[in-house]
Amino acid sequence: MAESYPTLTQCALVAAAFKVLLFPAYKSTDFEVHRNWLAITNSLPLSQWYHDKTSEWTLDYPPFFAYFEWLLAHVARLVDPAMVRVYNLGYDSWETVYFQRFSVIITELLLVYALQMFVDSSPLQSKRAAQVAALSVFLSPGLLIIDHIHFQYNGFMYGILVASLVLARYKSTLLQSGLVFGALLCFKHIYLYLAPAYFVFLLRAYCLSARSVFRIKLLNCVKLGLGLGGIFAAAFAPFALMGQIPQLLSRLFPFSRGLCHAYWAPNVWALYSLADRVLIHFAPKLGLPLKTEALNSVTRGLVGDTAFAVLPEVTPRVCFALTLLFQILPLIKLFRRPTWDNFIGAVTLCGYASFLFGWHVHEKAILLVIIPFSLIALRDRRHLGAFRPLIVAGYISLFPLLFTPAEFPIKTIYTVFWLVLFLISLDRMAPASNQPRVFLLDRFSTLYIAVSIPLIAYTSLFHQVIFGKRLEFLPLMFTSSYTAIGVVGSWVGYMVVYYTC
Amino acid sequence: MPAVSPAHKPRRKANKGDIDKLRAPAFPLAAFLWPARTSLSQWEVLPLVLMVVGLFRWAAGLWGYSGFQRPPMFGDYEAQRHWMELTTHLPISQWYFHDLEWWGLDYPPLTAYHSWVLGKIGSVINPDWFALVSSRGSHDPMLKIFMRATVIVSEYLVFIPAVTVFVRRFSRLSDISIWTSNLALVAILMQPSLILIDHVHFQYNTVMLGFVVASMSSMLAERYMWAAVLFVAALGFKQMALYYAFSVFSYLLGRCITTGINPTRLIGIALVTIVSFGVLVLPLALGALYDKQRGIDPSPELKVQGATPLIANYISPDHFYYPIFEQLGQMVHRVFPFARGLFEDKVANFWCALNTVIKLRNYPVHLLQKAALVATLASILPPNIILFLRPRKSALPPAFAATAWGFFLFSWQVHEKSVLLPLMPMTLLLAGKHGMSGEVRAWVGFANLLGAWTMFPLLHRVDLRVPYAVFTLLWAYLLGLPPTSWSAPFQEGQSQVVQWGTALLQGTFYATMAAWHVVEAFVEPPPGKPDLWVVANVGVGAAGFFLCYLWCIWRLLRETGFLSTGAKAKTKTQ
Repeated sequence: MAESYPTLTQCALVAAAFKVLLFPAYKSTDFEVHRNWLAITNSLPLSQWYHDKTSEWTLDYPPFFAYFEWLLAHVARLVDPAMVRVYNLGYDSWETVYFQRFSVIITELLLVYALQMFVDSSPLQSKRAAQVAALSVFLSPGLLIIDHIHFQYNGFMYGILVASLVLARYKSTLLQSGLVFGALLCFKHIYLYLAPAYFVFLLRAYCLSARSVFRIKLLNCVKLGLGLGGIFAAAFAPFALMGQIPQLLSRLFPFSRGLCHAYWAPNVWALYSLADRVLIHFAPKLGLPLKTEALNSVTRGLVGDTAFAVLPEVTPRVCFALTLLFQILPLIKLFRRPTWDNFIGAVTLCGYASFLFGWHVHEKAILLVIIPFSLIALRDRRHLGAFRPLIVAGYISLFPLLFTPAEFPIKTIYTVFWLVLFLISLDRMAPASNQPRVFLLDRFSTLYIAVSIPLIAYTSLFHQVIFGKRLEFLPLMFTSSYTAIGVVGSWVGYMVVYYTC
Repeated sequence: MPAVSPAHKPRRKANKGDIDKLRAPAFPLAAFLWPARTSLSQWEVLPLVLMVVGLFRWAAGLWGYSGFQRPPMFGDYEAQRHWMELTTHLPISQWYFHDLEWWGLDYPPLTAYHSWVLGKIGSVINPDWFALVSSRGSHDPMLKIFMRATVIVSEYLVFIPAVTVFVRRFSRLSDISIWTSNLALVAILMQPSLILIDHVHFQYNTVMLGFVVASMSSMLAERYMWAAVLFVAALGFKQMALYYAFSVFSYLLGRCITTGINPTRLIGIALVTIVSFGVLVLPLALGALYDKQRGIDPSPELKVQGATPLIANYISPDHFYYPIFEQLGQMVHRVFPFARGLFEDKVANFWCALNTVIKLRNYPVHLLQKAALVATLASILPPNIILFLRPRKSALPPAFAATAWGFFLFSWQVHEKSVLLPLMPMTLLLAGKHGMSGEVRAWVGFANLLGAWTMFPLLHRVDLRVPYAVFTLLWAYLLGLPPTSWSAPFQEGQSQVVQWGTALLQGTFYATMAAWHVVEAFVEPPPGKPDLWVVANVGVGAAGFFLCYLWCIWRLLRETGFLSTGAKAKTKTQ
């Protein structure tokens, strides 16, 4: 089979052209956050990095990301020295915009490389399918919206993740896979959510003998331990020597935030809040007590934290327990059969569990589920059946991130384009499953996808026409509930697929 | 229409020139549509293509427009916005008279009606955008979004359907697969200069060009009266469509005479043309009469200098039809400003290039006007005579392109944006026989890249270097053209000499263009000659465009069978 077209490089080039055109587009405060980090790392000594409070956007990523910003700042200083001054708050000269946006495009090449690794590592008969999956990840509307408009550096970090997942495919590169993932954790700690799957997989497949769980491969354990130790030391030792670890950790894990983010990420708690909202109207009839202070403080999903009027409060402890529970369930299977497919499945399910039950989840975290899932979505039609509602829900749930009118057509048309293109081509690529369909997953997902069309039309157009500026929470609530149903539905569907194949 | 007459030459079975038979895509654009070759249906590809080209257009619109924050006059954006303001606020009879110093209306009536519709819609959203006088020079970001959206919507209503239909019909004419014609469609819709002028710089050229393409498309479908109506619409939108008028005329006349004399068709076309012109100016004429009756003076400000006194010499102002003549006279006077100079700015046409050698300023204006007239006629007569003698469908794009090149190179009063007019029909050649294979792709690509390059000084002035670089390089990359690939001229069954000749000739120009960019960016022009780089651009551009003109003529001769190319000499005239 000849190389399939278009290649990743070709897509990367054309996509880069489009991304360059988006330079003047809306950028969120994350742009200033990252500029400030350039400034902090460039003009302050290491000891000040995690202490500086000049800007409200303090450094709250792990040290590798700070080193990365430090490296970038060396170039940034040449482009525009004013960019790297700490007191230059909110500075956004066109040089700054060009430089920062361009650095996102360049670093994203790591993702292209990792995806090419994925395609090359796939067996011959599924190469074309792998190519389609790789393109779907690279062209993902999530990365376009979050990285190239909203502004963040997810592209290259997901590149590291994909590289690590691909390295886990063969016995000979298991160690590298673990080390790369360890390094990724030092870039952005959100990937800790996936760590349980790595832990179990590496433990079973690398540290324990394939024949018996009681035979420990000592040499492998030492290699992995030393390697990870070295990586974490490289990241944290400078700060540990200065006795700054508590300060660093307090920056990385701010526990003072609320359950739901300003806008409800489409998870279980969004459905829970929705149920609460609905119950407010029925509470008197059912004789349930209403917490009046919650009634007044509820900001209707627009700003601030959510408090529940009828249903019991949710504590971080509950979230944590539920997350852990639903992470452990798939890991049991992984421990018993540590194949690569099961590993990717377990990573996906760990992502799901933390997204669905986590405390203060941001909707951007949906990529944590979608990207690992993409690598196995084309295994057969059953996988695809669970994947389809996830991509529809996941990407539509990102719409509220961009609320400016100029970017509105870009996010909508691009997402619709991506969905049409990849729903068609994934459907062509997925082979039939050798197991019978368990339940009406396909029907559900088709119906679900169909509903998205009127939903997008309503939230983006008709609501404005009918209500104008009133009831602004309504489209947000619809989007949030609709997408939450999709994510939860695809999770249930995938759990079934995972346990039955 | 698609029925092939029995005398048609048999199709060759293995057509080596057709790129969809190849094993691997010859250029990146083909790679992008590669998966659509076998499976995807037409109705899945077209929406995807339209979404992608739309995305690029909208993203282009995020950049600045001409005249952004450049008082006192701002630019084309302000002109278009101002017309929406004046048409929605003033009685129709004052449109062509209102404050001519501030972007007075100088486009034909259809543009005025178009502005009126857009202005009405915009005023519903926010009346301040088009408030009389007080909105001048407005830079409200929401207004920008609205204006950008109007360009895209207008294009999707006129240009894009017209091009889609034209490409289908034109490729069916020469038995080209739907897949290959889709390639041509994307290439045509991604034309860099069109996007740069309409969606970045800001204008509504695609509406006029769209009507012209629709008119050509009707000619392919042998609906000659529709062709006439649509061409009148193009003329009524922007007088620049006159560049094509000769070709429209010779083709339609040829179809009534040289392919069998058909007087009813001729009379029909003539009547329909007259009626459509009548309909076009009817609102203006009726409005003038009505306003006269209401006692509204068309020019309540100072008596404007214009056509009015001229007309008053012939018709007494007391006649009831005087307002109509006054109105139409003023409109024509505004639309065709004969009083301006030979060229407005530095344009890559013959006169501007000649000016660098001989100072044309030293010659009397009427002599120059005559010279321009003679040169233009000399350049446009050959293609139109050929088209008249053999009005073949496949000859339409090269004839239109050659005529428009003739006008662009030699006529009076040319603007650098006018290069869009010859580029459009020339680019349509991509949808024709062997359109996407080497030779045509190389020449069409050359013309387009050179065209965009000559507009660089215009875009550079308003800080639009980035979209310029992105759109030209992207297009060159997609079509496998320099600077990304040098293989285009070598991909066809032409003789080695021609291939190398083309490659060397074009290569010289590409090298010059690249070198010019380097020099322009890093070297200050010598003192006393601040415009040297622009002048160099103009000279190289004019020379390259002249080559494009010659190539179009040669292509036309081949299409019409005047120049035989091997075995294909005897094609039946349809």
